[in-house]
Order: sequence, then structure tokens, then C-alpha cells
Amino acid sequence: MASPYPRRRSRRWFIERWAYQRFVLRELSGVVLAAYMVLLLLLVSSVHAGGQAFADHVTTLRSPLMIAVHVILVLFALLHTVTWFQAVPKGLPLRRGEEKVPPALMIGANYVAMAGATVIIVAALVA
Amino acid sequence: MTSGATTTQTIGFEIARYLPGEDRAPTLRHYDVPYRPEWVVLDALNYLKDEVDGTLSFRWSCRMGVCGSCGAMVNGVPRLMCAAFLRDYLPGPIRVEPLANFPIERDLVIVLDDFMQKLRAVKPWIIPGDRPPPADAEYRQTPAQLADFKQYSMCINCLLCYSACPVYQHEEEFLGPAVLALAQRYDHDSRDRGNSQRHELTWSDEGIWDCTFVGECSAVCPKHVDPAGAIQQAKVESTMDWYRSVLWPFGRR
Ligand code: FES
Repeated sequence: MASPYPRRRSRRWFIERWAYQRFVLRELSGVVLAAYMVLLLLLVSSVHAGGQAFADHVTTLRSPLMIAVHVILVLFALLHTVTWFQAVPKGLPLRRGEEKVPPALMIGANYVAMAGATVIIVAALVA
Repeated sequence: MTSGATTTQTIGFEIARYLPGEDRAPTLRHYDVPYRPEWVVLDALNYLKDEVDGTLSFRWSCRMGVCGSCGAMVNGVPRLMCAAFLRDYLPGPIRVEPLANFPIERDLVIVLDDFMQKLRAVKPWIIPGDRPPPADAEYRQTPAQLADFKQYSMCINCLLCYSACPVYQHEEEFLGPAVLALAQRYDHDSRDRGNSQRHELTWSDEGIWDCTFVGECSAVCPKHVDPAGAIQQAKVESTMDWYRSVLWPFGRR
């Protein structure tokens, strides 16, 4: 009895299409942000130790390697933000009666909220 | 390149052929087809079947994106062959392969038993409650209630979403995008009272929680069903339900 050809599985699926590569990068952005939290905690602990420890830490942060690391961190943070806000209207769609609230509006509202929160935090830090 | 309907212009095709019992594995075979700007891939395949090789096997029926039977990988992307115009693939060649992530019956024909069985498992029909309308009356539904699920009811079971889903490729138990979107369709139907019968399966690890939100199912869906959205919404609902059951143990749910 002739049998069907079995379904194919690929171990390299995540590089086979740009959409999958984007997905992997998006998932990775969570790990990268967690790594940044560690860097942030190191900074806080150097502030806590004060004086020389903090000065040393700042010197380390000024090294080309650390600057490069932070550039990558910013890129991943941006990717994380953009993809997360894009997911909002997917997971929590809103409707007014029969009409769907436009996804762009919901995404925009999130950016506005983020900008507002940033302003408040920065103002609190500066004051 | 796009002018005229002369048959002197041709476009190349690479079509996956597989004859069970004869071939060890599918192989790509080259064909030349007259180029017509108004033709879709399905027209080219029908031309080949009529004029060149009658053994070429593929499924189709409506030719207008309704029946959902003509799905195939066109240049590596799941498409309805009746909606894929040759003019969008110039200068060719166009590679046509059976839908990914399914066993191959023959040539472009896939085995869809797994999908059929999963579809049945989520009871995609209206399960009436204790008080259905009397036999001589109809269910009433407001436009807003209809809008709550209409999008998910547009699914034509073409399986393009399964071909786009890497989770389905690797987790054979995963119910998959279309089935979960259809479950959501009945869950959100005001006439249906079957949620509790479905959630044991759809809210399980083989259901919505297997999904990692790659999102390609929605990108390839020809009917804009947005199965990825349906699944993320079900995740939110399932989570809320869990909190409700924990924080409100005397609740009715
Ligand atoms: S032939 Fe019916 S959807 Fe393409």
C-alpha cells in the first residue's frame, strides 16, 4: 500500500523566513532587556557603594565596548516596545457597538501613555 | 512584459511532483506555461493538466477564494492558487509545492485528516443552552453580538495558517490557528452555550497555550480571520477566568 510522504520538520525553521527571524528577535528582546536590568542593578549598587566605586563604574560604562553594548540594548528595547504595542489591539481588541476601535488608535494611545509616563519620571528625577 | 495575450510569451514553473509507491521523495519538475496577465497559478496548473500532463494532481473547486481547497506553497509562501496572479511573480519561475507541515498524498495534494479530527474535537457548532428558542422561532442576535464573532466565521478551512505556523510544524498535538479561531467563533456567539465543553481542550497546552504568537497565520490568511488575534484574546480570557476562579471561589463560574 503506497503511503503518503511524511510531513517535513525543519530544525532551521527560524532562519527560513524573514517573518520567523523577526519573531525570534522579538522573543530575544525580552532576554536582552532582562540582561539590561542586571546592568542597571550593577549601576545602582555602585551608586550605593558611592565615591570611588561609582567613578570606576562610570569609567567602565564609557568604554567603547560598553557603548556598543548599549547601542544594541537600545535597538532591542525599541523592537520590544514596537512589537509589544503592536500586540495590544490583537490581544485586547475594543469595540464600540459594531465598530472596531481602529488598531492604530489603540497603538497610538499606548505611545502617548508611554510618553506621558516618561515625562513624569524624568521630571521627578530632575526635580 | 505584461502586454498582450499572445502565447509566444511563456513563464517557467517548478512544480513538486510525488507519486506514492514510485517516488522516494517529492521532486521539482520544470514546465513552461503560456503567460497571460489575467491568469492565476491555478489557471496555469489546469493548462498543464489539460495540455501537457494529465497526471498532475491538485485540489481546487470554486476558483474564487471561497472553497479553500487550492492552497499551496507558491515561492515558499502559503497562498490560494486561485488568488495568486502570474503577473505578480514575473519573470518567474514560479515554484509550486504542497502546503508545508502536512503529509503529501500525491503531487500537490496533502493529507488533511489531522486537521479534520482536530476541527471536530472543538465542536464547531452551536451548542444550545437550557432555554433554546421555541421550535417555531429563531434566535435573536443584535448587530453588536454578531460583530463579536463574525470575523472568525469567515474561515474557509484552507489551511494556509497551518502551513505558516512553526509551532504546528514542531508540535503535532497543537490544535492550530484555524481550529482555535473557530472555537473562539462559537465561544463568542451569543446563541452558543458550549464554552465549558470546549475550554478543557482549547484552553489547554495543546490549545492556545502552545501558541507563541509568531503571527504568520494571520499574515497569510486570505480571509482576514486573524487567528493569531483570536488566540491571544482567548489567552486573555482564559487568564481572567483563572483569576476569577481563584479570587472568587464562590462565584458561579
Ligand atoms: S479554488 Fe476555491 S479557494 Fe481557490
